Formats: sequence, structure tokens, C-alpha cells
Amino acid sequence: MKDSNITQDEIAAVFPKVAETMADAISCEIEKVKLDSSLIDDLGAESIDFVDIVFRLQRLFKVKIPRGKIVEEARGVLSEAEFEKAGVVSDAGVAQLRAFLNEVPAERFKSPLHVADIPRLFTVETFCKLVIRQQRAAAPAGGPPSA
Amino acid sequence: MKTPTLTDAGLTGRVALVTGGSRGIGRTIVETLAGAGMTVAFTYRENAAAAAEVIVGAPPSLVFAEAVDVRDASACAAFAEKVTERTARIDVLVNNAGVIRDNTLGLLEDDDVRVVLETNVMGAFNMTRAIAPYMISARRGKIINVSSVAGEKGGRGQTNYAASKGALNAFTRALAVELAPRGITVNAVAPGVIDTDLSRPVREQAGDQALSRILLRRFGRPEEVAYAVWFLASHYADYITGEILHVDGGFKME
Repeated sequence: MKDSNITQDEIAAVFPKVAETMADAISCEIEKVKLDSSLIDDLGAESIDFVDIVFRLQRLFKVKIPRGKIVEEARGVLSEAEFEKAGVVSDAGVAQLRAFLNEVPAERFKSPLHVADIPRLFTVETFCKLVIRQQRAAAPAGGPPSA
Repeated sequence: MKTPTLTDAGLTGRVALVTGGSRGIGRTIVETLAGAGMTVAFTYRENAAAAAEVIVGAPPSLVFAEAVDVRDASACAAFAEKVTERTARIDVLVNNAGVIRDNTLGLLEDDDVRVVLETNVMGAFNMTRAIAPYMISARRGKIINVSSVAGEKGGRGQTNYAASKGALNAFTRALAVELAPRGITVNAVAPGVIDTDLSRPVREQAGDQALSRILLRRFGRPEEVAYAVWFLASHYADYITGEILHVDGGFKME
């Protein structure tokens, strides 16, 4: 996996700011925001909150996060046709998602999985990882600066 | 109650972005909002000389412009970023940029349809998508779309333009629903025949006939549209959303 080398330390480093961003955008108590909280099911986020969250994360961490970035990266090498058919994620697509969103407990992957329900899977950690990947992508060639 | 004036509408020190601000109604909207004390950033398509004229007399820190094709989503995003970097806020978006390519159905070129829909509809989508995150984050904002009487009233030779403005009205109502929970109002102003370059062909070809269908028996002035935009941008209109405000001298009634 592309991001299998994201360490728990890296996630812990960005988590406090990500959690604060989530709490502000969703207007929930920060104590409720855990690494494994589902944004929609646990924190009560609506789809419009994702726009706000991404906007705030971009400014806070000075990274670019294009629309649909998580699903696009999750899809990986699969073409759109291989990934989903008529709005339902294919078996290959689900396997790809499970590997990419490895922070999401297996039981949350419903079958059949509709594309529109993919955001339900996203946890706070999903966004931590997104920020870290975008930070790395923006880092100068030769990898991130050593600590 | 005190009579409202331009400058006591809660707009002083606030920031507006107006698309298509170098000429016609857009230019008057820019001047009116600047007159109300707002910082105004506006886009223009290609007429830099006209855009420069709008800026003359206004402090460059308060009114500034850039050539942006609203059909280009990334150009809209870049302009939105530039404006907010400079002003640190955005309070009002006026989607005004629009084009007319009138012709009867059989004579319309594909390009006439495409350019009108892409500019008038996709242009509003593009700039709104670029600006909405700032407003959602701030939990406040006012979006005002400049529509047209053509969006509701049939007019010969205007299938493409009417379709674009009807779409803009529907866009206005649907977006009002989406953004209301975040404290953002979305409304439209629908001008009738206004005395501008854009409407000159209509007025020249069908002026008398058009006049006879306007209850007030005259064409509108750009400032009469701009005042409606100013009103919807002001705190006087805080409780109005999803509305299409007709400024047409009673044209649509006939």
C-alpha cells in the first residue's frame, strides 16, 4: 500500500489539530472526536460539513486536497468501471477500499456498498492520513525533511 | 424607522466578489457596492480598458479586477483564493457574468447554445463552488445571482438564454436549501429589459413591442437592478432566501 508506511507517530502528530478542525466544522464537542470516530455516524457530520472540513484542513496544514481525493486514491489502479457499476462498488473495489481505509473496522463495510455511502466509512484517522499524504506530496523531492 | 441609505446597510468594510463587472449591470453593481463601503473584487472577460474605467476614482485597495473566464473552474478557484488572501474574508458573491447569443431554434449554432449555458450556468456553479467553502466556514454569506425575466417568460429567439436563466433560478432555490443551515442566503435578481449594451439588439429590433408589454412603459436603468442587488446583500434582507426578485417594470406580468 502506498501509505502503509504512515506511522502512528505521524498520525498522533496531526491528530490534535485535525480533531479541533472536526469539532469546529461539525460543531460537536472535541472530547467526542476520537481517531476511530466515523464522521457521519458518530459525530453527526452532514455531507456539506466535508466541504468545510477539507477547506479548513487545506488552510491549516497548507496542503491542497482536490475534490474527491480520498475515493480517487482509494480506487488506485482500478478504472471507474472496475471500481463500481450503477452506483454499487464492485468486489474488487471493496477489496481496494478495505486495504486503503485499513483504519475502518471491517464490519462497517456493508454489502452491497453504494458509492454514495463511501463517506460513511470515513473516520477521523482517514482525514489524518489524507493530510499526511498531501503533506508528503507537497514536500520537496527527496522526501520529507528529516526531523 | 430611519430611511436606509447605501452606507448604513451593514456593508461597510465587507467584501464582495462580482463576476462580469466591467460593463453594463455588473459595472453598476460594482460601483453601487463600492459606494456602500464594500471592498469589491470583480472579474471581466476581455475588456481590460472597460475594467480599468470602473476602477478609476476608487482606491485600488477597495476595488480591483482580474480577467477571469468563469467557464474555467480552476481560474475561478485561483481568483477566489487571491481575493481572500488579500481581504481575509468574503461576504457577498454576485454571479453576474452572462452572455446572450439570440437566434431562433433552427438558426442557433451549437456553439451559441454551449457558450451561453457554459457562461451563464456553469460560470455560476464554478464561482459559487470556489467561494462557498469560505462562506460555509464563516457560517455567513450572501450569494446573489443575476438572472433575467427570460428565465420565466418565453421570448422568441431566446431558447438558449432562457434555458440558462431558468436553470439559474432553479440553482438559486436549490442552493438556498443547501446553504441555509450554514447561515448563507441565496437569492436572484431577475432584470427585465435594461438599458445596457447587452440588451441593445433586443431594444433596437423589438423596442416598441417590448415597451408595450412593460407595465411601466420604459426600460430599466442599470442602477435600478444594482439597488436590488445591494438590498439583497444588505442586512435589510437577512431574512430573505431562495427568492427571485423581479426588477422588470412589470414585464413578466403582461
